[in-house]
Amino acid sequence: MDKMLRNKKAIILFMLPAFLLFTLVLFIPIVQSVYYSFCDYKGITEPVYVGLKNYKTLLSDKTFGIALKNSMFFLIFSCVSQLIVGLIFAALLTNIKKGRNAFKNIIYLPCVLSSAALGLMWMFIFSPKLGINQLLEKCGVEEAPLWLMDTKGYIILPMWVIAFVSLWQYVGQSMMLYMAQISGISKSLMEASYIDGCTKAQTFRYITLPLIKPMVATAMSLNAIGSLKFFDLIFNMTEGGPNHKTEVLATHLYQQGFKYFKYGYASAIGVVLLILCLLVTLFINKVVKTEQYEM
Amino acid sequence: MKKRRLLATLMTAAMFATTLTGCGGSSGGSSNNSGSGSSATTNNNGGGSSDGVQEITWMFWDDLNATEDKISLGYKDTIERFNKDFEGKYHVTPITTNLEEYYNNLNAHVSAGETPDVFIVSPGPQLTDYVEPGVAAPLDEYLNKDGWKDTFKSDAVFTQQTYDGKIYAVPLNTAAACCFYNTEMFEKAGASVPKNWDEMITACDKLKAAGYTPVTISAGTAWCLSMVAGYLCEAEGVSLPKLADGSASWEDGKLESVGNKLLQFSEYFQRTAAGDTNDVATANFYNEEAAILIQGSWVIGQMNGANPEFESKCGVFQFPGVERLIAKSDSLCMSSTTKYPEASAALIKYFTDDTAQKYTAEVGGKIPVTNVKYDESVAPKQLSYVMDIFGKAKGTFGFYNESMPTTETGAHFDDTMVAVFLKDMTPAEAAKDMEDYYKANCRK
Repeated sequence: MDKMLRNKKAIILFMLPAFLLFTLVLFIPIVQSVYYSFCDYKGITEPVYVGLKNYKTLLSDKTFGIALKNSMFFLIFSCVSQLIVGLIFAALLTNIKKGRNAFKNIIYLPCVLSSAALGLMWMFIFSPKLGINQLLEKCGVEEAPLWLMDTKGYIILPMWVIAFVSLWQYVGQSMMLYMAQISGISKSLMEASYIDGCTKAQTFRYITLPLIKPMVATAMSLNAIGSLKFFDLIFNMTEGGPNHKTEVLATHLYQQGFKYFKYGYASAIGVVLLILCLLVTLFINKVVKTEQYEM
Repeated sequence: MKKRRLLATLMTAAMFATTLTGCGGSSGGSSNNSGSGSSATTNNNGGGSSDGVQEITWMFWDDLNATEDKISLGYKDTIERFNKDFEGKYHVTPITTNLEEYYNNLNAHVSAGETPDVFIVSPGPQLTDYVEPGVAAPLDEYLNKDGWKDTFKSDAVFTQQTYDGKIYAVPLNTAAACCFYNTEMFEKAGASVPKNWDEMITACDKLKAAGYTPVTISAGTAWCLSMVAGYLCEAEGVSLPKLADGSASWEDGKLESVGNKLLQFSEYFQRTAAGDTNDVATANFYNEEAAILIQGSWVIGQMNGANPEFESKCGVFQFPGVERLIAKSDSLCMSSTTKYPEASAALIKYFTDDTAQKYTAEVGGKIPVTNVKYDESVAPKQLSYVMDIFGKAKGTFGFYNESMPTTETGAHFDDTMVAVFLKDMTPAEAAKDMEDYYKANCRK
């Protein structure tokens, strides 16, 4: 092994493909996006440097304000809800013996299905004339809620609906991560806690939770990034409407880039997203302090 | 430890940034390429085949295999006729997408350097978006060949497609925005065809009292609601050119009055107007769930295709209180980068030949742009009503959102009108917002 590590040619040879791929697929596009965010760039003409104009425009863009608010809502909602529901599922499933795999598959299944197809399915379910409302009508409800059209309130009903759909879709991922971590905890630790008189709840609180904390940080970071770049469900369920009220940063970016040819402005939104991702990841890593335990 | 955390943070952020960048880059490819009778190809700008056939692409805003719209079906026929007549020489493959996503997908194709050889576009700022950067090619050379241009009703049909004396798009048909109404519902409710705004409100009151939903409209597809606002602006005497050059102001009270009327009118809309798409709102009408639909006459083909029995119940009247009509044409552009301009021009010509134009009127219910003679007795009844209205109108004007300085300004107007309808803004705030927007973006 040492001999191999001393062979610089081998090191370069093994690292080169990954390095090239990283540079071409990651680094160059990021740098390009940052550069375009300082330009008036329509995609089909040469970019013209305009300094901070795009960022100044962001400050007066009402739709950007709505999109930012909605993205932050998704961020908070998904971090909290997926943490709680994911943990509950993981704790329950690790403690049952029969049907564990079946439940695991059922809960995880939406994660592997196409978000576009799921978005359309839920759009039909929440359509005013189909799905839930038809059932409610049969139950005697005359004016059923307009699940994806209501515009009242600070966080409007369609946002809550989409947030719950996204929880349904992605909670399986959090659950799997927690389950993987829980299954790595030594049984002797659990047994020791039971011998010391702990109930199951106390064991979970004092043994399981501290030991899965590193995974909580990882899962929360993934949730946070996933919810900030949230696009497909919204696009398929509401397309950002009514009147941009369910727009999030990624859908706003898409509309600005592809509808109005404003690639420079769209890149500025992308850079803001990038910064948000960095800040949120740093925040989570700082808040969820993890210590390594011997498991 | 800190370094590790920093590295992990950077990596996750980088992962996310790439996802976004990847999204941008791949959108062109992910657009819905559904061919009509043949598989769509991304081999744009003329993919020549080994047997010498010139392969071109045509991009359109409806799914030709799923649509019931008779105009779209007519376009499908034209494509098939073209491929059959030019077998072994030219071949066109359609790239289709839904209307709402059409421009996003087209723009993605253009940005990726895969501009379709021929593509449909609305005249106005949307066409300007493709003419100014040189995406669309001038077509005068082809129009002047073999007397093609002489087949059109007049040179005036090219007015909206002409830039610096050059024609950049060929119109295929004309449609006028009118009020379509259910004659049976009107009769049962004792309502009469309104001539002015007050009569319109009276008719809506009677329809509502009779238990009908008076008006079906889409605010989910913002331009539908904005079309009504456009007519109300016309009735108030709003002048878009004066607003653009700064000699008039949006805050002169006219737009505020428009907003108030829109709010008054919205009392008669279906409950789901805020989120209904154009297609859903139109379906409400031809499925007899509402009495009035304000829409372009292109809807005739859609209604008669989906519910042929409704034709006999469908009347048409001009938007009350205005003397001019909103008119619009579908137009075809040719890519400036096409490898096969002759094939592309031949395809556009097929859309304006007698067979296609006769179909436009006799089956599709739209107004032809050429001098073709069509059989009025077989054409949809609604077309004759529209033609009557057209004959009596004192002129035409474009859709408001398509008559503003830029596509984005038009979209801003649409959104502002929807905001008034949703009561997110008062009419006075909407007027101020439009004035501020014009000051910041439209006036020099």
